[in-house]
This record gives sequence, structure tokens and C-alpha cells, in this order.
Amino acid sequence: MKKKAENKRRLPEGIGMMKNILVLKEHIRNFYGKYEIYLTPIFKFLLALLSLLLINGAWGYMEKLKSFPVVLVVALMCSFLPMNCIILFAAGFMLLHLYALSVEAAVVVFAVFLLMFLLYFRFAPKDTLVVLFLPMCFLMKIPYIIPIAMGLLGSPVAVVSVSCGVMVYYILAYIAENQATLGVTDVENGMQKFKVVIDGLLNNKAMLVTVAAFAVTVILVYTIRRMSINHSWTVAIIAGALANVVILLFGDLIFNTNISIAGAVIGSVISVGIAKLLQFFVFNVDYSRTELVQFEDDEYYYYVKAVPKITLATPEKSVKRINTQRKASAKSGGRTRY
Amino acid sequence: MLNEERIKLMTRMASYEEREGKKNLAIGSYFRSDYISLQVLKSVICATITFAILCGAAVLYDFELFMQDIYKEDLLISGKKILIFYVAFIAIYAVISYIVYSYRYNRAKKSLRQYYSNLKQLSVLYEEESRK
Repeated sequence: MKKKAENKRRLPEGIGMMKNILVLKEHIRNFYGKYEIYLTPIFKFLLALLSLLLINGAWGYMEKLKSFPVVLVVALMCSFLPMNCIILFAAGFMLLHLYALSVEAAVVVFAVFLLMFLLYFRFAPKDTLVVLFLPMCFLMKIPYIIPIAMGLLGSPVAVVSVSCGVMVYYILAYIAENQATLGVTDVENGMQKFKVVIDGLLNNKAMLVTVAAFAVTVILVYTIRRMSINHSWTVAIIAGALANVVILLFGDLIFNTNISIAGAVIGSVISVGIAKLLQFFVFNVDYSRTELVQFEDDEYYYYVKAVPKITLATPEKSVKRINTQRKASAKSGGRTRY
Repeated sequence: MLNEERIKLMTRMASYEEREGKKNLAIGSYFRSDYISLQVLKSVICATITFAILCGAAVLYDFELFMQDIYKEDLLISGKKILIFYVAFIAIYAVISYIVYSYRYNRAKKSLRQYYSNLKQLSVLYEEESRK
């Protein structure tokens, strides 16, 4: 019996590690299932805090909003409000900052937000999150993860939301670049400022190239992911990242967009790594949740807590006895734990 | 008495009602034509607002040029042009929303079918119990 056990332990290292990762994944799943009620607000809080801090860092024109207590209070509020409230608050912060810089910029950006909502996000409210995530990831220099993730998770329609996210980031980045022009309070040139901001939206070649690259990435990743080939997810992630870099490179050559290609390559490599991790720990795992439901019939009130059964149990080591001389082992059906 | 099978069924249904069923039940309470026409009407209103914003942006983009041109141009012709753009824009958007919402309606009805069959099963269970 001991020999057998030793044999088991001497698995090739790769497989051993893989097994450990799988066990870890299972533990994470169990943990999430157990403490879901507490974990979701914490995630929301962290997401809200991070997004507001990033916005304040990049576009902090209104000093009052930059104070940490304000950010903290808003983030805490977001933790128990629905997910889309984070987006609402982030957009509100954004507009207030822009308002402090120049009313015209705030008006144009507000119009852009409104158009996006009226035309698209009314149909798909869940996709709105992408518009928050993309500028955040741009600020963290890894926007390339978003089209890959959307290709893996969503449908080709995600192209619209990814494009909207890219547009939002580029218009904001453009405003930040031109803050010297826009920040001047000058009544006569007020109308000129509209032109400057709208020009930044319409004639922004870097934005158009990025939109094209991300759109192709989303569709490519989606198409490959759905193919019936081995490792289709991995192939999709890598092909998507490559296509993205290549289109950005060509766009840079043709339109002279000043997109940093070295940055794109490094960002893409990091994004591929993150996408692989996400694939393993998030996308393919069913974090089916513990549910608390409540109903009644004529006789009773029912407060039911439904806990999902674990389908793939964390492996319990068991050794089959070959030596059946001992009676005890025969009684236990030839299997025992150690 | 507590009936385990019935409680399981009720739990499943309650959890459906709370999650994905919430929207489907709301959709299911409409007739198909009512639901789709209401949604298309909402879309048309949204598209009208969008069109107004775009027109406003076009005017603000170059306000001086606009003020100069407004005296030169034949307002009737440019008004007609804008109207044609508006109608085309609304029509395209309405068609897209018609397709989206009729797809959603069908999907919701399909998902509700299982729910309704569960309801029937539940009433059968109740009947069995009362006979005992």
C-alpha cells in the first residue's frame, strides 16, 4: 500500500502542478460559493474605488472631488448599489471634472454618453461595464485584454460596446492633451471650443485605428473560440492578440498615429497572460451561487437556502488495497482513506 | 405536511422568478404585438432625441458658418433634406429594434414554457396531497 502511495506522489512535476492548480481553483470556487454575500460588495467597492482613483488621477480638474473621503464614501455606496451605479458615478465624476475645466468639453462628452446610451446601451445594459473598464485598462496600459475577453465571453455584438469604450477614452485623452486651450475662460472663443472638442472626436486617427483593431480582435477571438479545434480558447487568445498588434502597427505606418508599438507588444503579452488566468479561474468556472429564496404556501412560510452541490470534488486520496488478506479491509469494500 | 419534492420544485421556481425569470415574466405579461410596438415606440423616441442632439452638435460645431449660411440657403430645401435624413434614421433604427425585441420576446416565451410546466406539476402535487 505504501509503495502505491509513493508511486502516486511521484507524478511528473507538470501534472502534479496542474493538479494543484485545479485543486486551488476548486477551493476558490468553494470559498466564493460560501462567502458570496460578502465578496460581491467587496469586489464592487474595490472596482468603484479603483475607477474613481484612476479618473481623479488622470482628469482631476475639480479639487473637491479629489479628496479621498469623497471617493471613499462614493465607493462604499457603490458596494451595495447595483453594478451599473458604479458606471453612473464614474460618468458623473468624469463630467464634473470636465465641467471644472471647460463647460464645452463637459457638454460634448455628456452628449456622447447620452448618444451611446440612447442608441446602444438601452438594448444591452450589461455591456455598459465595458465602457468603464476600457478607459481604466487604457490608463493601466493593458486595454488589449478587453477585446480578447469580450471575444471569449460575448458575441460579435460586443464590437459596439468595445468601440464605444475606445471612443470614450480617446475623447477624454484628447481633452487632457488640450487642457491648456480648453481651460482658458474666454467668452468669445466659447464656440471655438466646441469645434476643438468635436474635431478631437471625429478626426482622431489613433482612435479609428484602435477601434478597427479591437473590432477585428473581438470577431477573430469569437470565431476561433467557437471552432471545434483543440485548445480553441488558447489559440483564440493568441491569434487575437497578434491580430491586434499587427493592425495597430499597420495603422501606425499608414496614418502615423503615434501609437506606441513597443507598448502595444508588451501590453499584449501581459494581456495574453491575464486572459489565460481569467480563462482558467473565471470564464470556465461555474460560480453557481448559494441562493436564499423565500416563498409561501397556504400552510407555511419557506426560507430556503439552496447550496449548490460540488460536482468536481477536491480529490480525496484513496488507495485500493490489493492485499485482501485482512478481514477489515474486505469489509470496507476494498477501499480506504488515509 | 412538508413535502420535500414540492419544496424542491418551489425553490427552483422561486430562484427562477428572482433571477432570469424576472425579466421574462414581465415580458410574458404582454401580448406579442403590444410588447414589440411599445418597445419600437420607445426606440423611435430615443432616436428622435439622438437626432436632435446630432443636429445641435452640427450647429454648434461651426456656429458662425451656420449663422452666415442660414440667410443664404433656401430653408424649405434644407428642411426637406433634414426631414429625409430623419425619416431614414428613424426607419433603420425602428427596424433594428423590431428585430431585437421580437427575438427577445420569443426567447422569453420559450424560457417561460418550462416555468409554466413547473407550475402545472406543482398543482398536480398539491392535488395528490389533498387526496391523501
